[in-house]
Amino acid sequence: MNTPTAHGQTFAVVRELIAKDHAIAPDTLTPDTPLQSLEIDSLALIELIFTLEERFDVVADKVPDDLPTLGSVADYIDGLVAARMADPGDAAPVA
Amino acid sequence: MAARRVAVTGLGVVSPLGLGEASFFESLQAGRSGVRRLDAPFRERLSTRIGAPVEFDGAAHFAPPRLRMLDRVSQFALVAARQAVDGAGQDVFDKARGRAGVFLGTGMGGAQTTDDGYRALYEQGAARLPPFSVLMAMNHAAAAWIGIEFGLQGPNLTYSTACSSSAVAIGEAWRRIRSGEMDVMLAGGSEAPLNLGTLKAWEALKTLAGEDADDPSSSCKPFALNRSGMVLGEGAAVLVLEEWEHAQRRGARIRGELIGYGLSTDSSHMTHPTVEGQARAMTLALESAEIDASAIHYINAHGTGTAANDATETNAIRQVFAAHADCVPVSSTKSMHGHLLGAAGAVELVATLLALERGTLPPTINLRMADPACDLDYISDGARQASGAGVAMSNAFAFGGTNAVLVCRSADAAHA
Repeated sequence: MNTPTAHGQTFAVVRELIAKDHAIAPDTLTPDTPLQSLEIDSLALIELIFTLEERFDVVADKVPDDLPTLGSVADYIDGLVAARMADPGDAAPVA
Repeated sequence: MAARRVAVTGLGVVSPLGLGEASFFESLQAGRSGVRRLDAPFRERLSTRIGAPVEFDGAAHFAPPRLRMLDRVSQFALVAARQAVDGAGQDVFDKARGRAGVFLGTGMGGAQTTDDGYRALYEQGAARLPPFSVLMAMNHAAAAWIGIEFGLQGPNLTYSTACSSSAVAIGEAWRRIRSGEMDVMLAGGSEAPLNLGTLKAWEALKTLAGEDADDPSSSCKPFALNRSGMVLGEGAAVLVLEEWEHAQRRGARIRGELIGYGLSTDSSHMTHPTVEGQARAMTLALESAEIDASAIHYINAHGTGTAANDATETNAIRQVFAAHADCVPVSSTKSMHGHLLGAAGAVELVATLLALERGTLPPTINLRMADPACDLDYISDGARQASGAGVAMSNAFAFGGTNAVLVCRSADAAHA
């Protein structure tokens, strides 16, 4: 199960973005809130991921089709952040 | 099967003269111009800084997530379509979603999005573009959005024949209903070309009017000796076209009847029009309406204000109307709302239908001294009362040579 504490900062950003966009109170949104209930369809999800990519400096190759909730979106971004930390590409190896 | 009749039951317009048919026609009737100095931040880079912009706040019409998916051209089209459907009655599609479609015209499509994208890429060195750039810039976006909003499952097509685009869209929609294929069509056009890239491209063709030294709002002077070109405008118009009996059965208010459509192509030059091509489109429109030229009470001219169009159109009207040419009032409402390119034909058909409905012919403003080559009755002295006017023609000609002419009549004349 997704819980707010499990996501911390990333979920907070997702919540802030969505709340502002839909003009709703942030505390009405939880990690379990379904995207469908916010009318976030596949296109709106592309836009949300795009915004989060910029915010967290990550790049998603594709937008996965198995992200049903706000929490799962935050998890997905966290995964990208973790992967970038583990493999910084051309950056010098971290001692 | 006898050809079916096509009623107009809804009119939507987003124009430099206001949103909605009432403010639009009020301005036309008063001879008020929507042409002005552009206040866009890039205006210093333009050699001609005038245009006919729409006062429009997208946020007043669309929630933020939707608004971010809509180029200005689609915003205009959707608002015009909503007005038209509101006027026709929300029950217009009740029995017809599968037999209802959308035909729209646009010359440049989502030009603002394209311009924004190029600026971001080439000027600002952006690594990537916003995720909806394709969906906003594509020419078919506006029509697709209208179809989605109203759930229309019939054909949804975008016509792009430059300045005759929306007249073609309306004429083709008329044919679909007349033939029995469709019962209801949303037809019209939209254009939003007042961005730097598009304006500079038009500037380079040297067909744009210079700014009037005394009064920028009078810079567009169709048929005048001192005309210097066209003024670009933006906006949209959408009409609800409905099979006559379908409209009558649901007790709809019929605003007029579309009775003829003529289409021809010059096929001689990209920009220079021909008398023969324009005359042929007018003749074909009259033939399809099964009326004689002498039955026409008013012509809403293409009348761009360019040297080439206005004299050619005058000659073409003379050729088709012969002796009657001196009796038929002609006006160019572009003198007030500018040239809306792909939306021009639709906006001007709305003007024409309202002129018949209200018995008031809108003037050609800024015409103080006519070009000797333009010698028709251009209604240059203010709007004219014409309560008996029942049948009218609206002309739309284009770069590329596609000429489209629509003929309509008032609801009163249609019922008579």
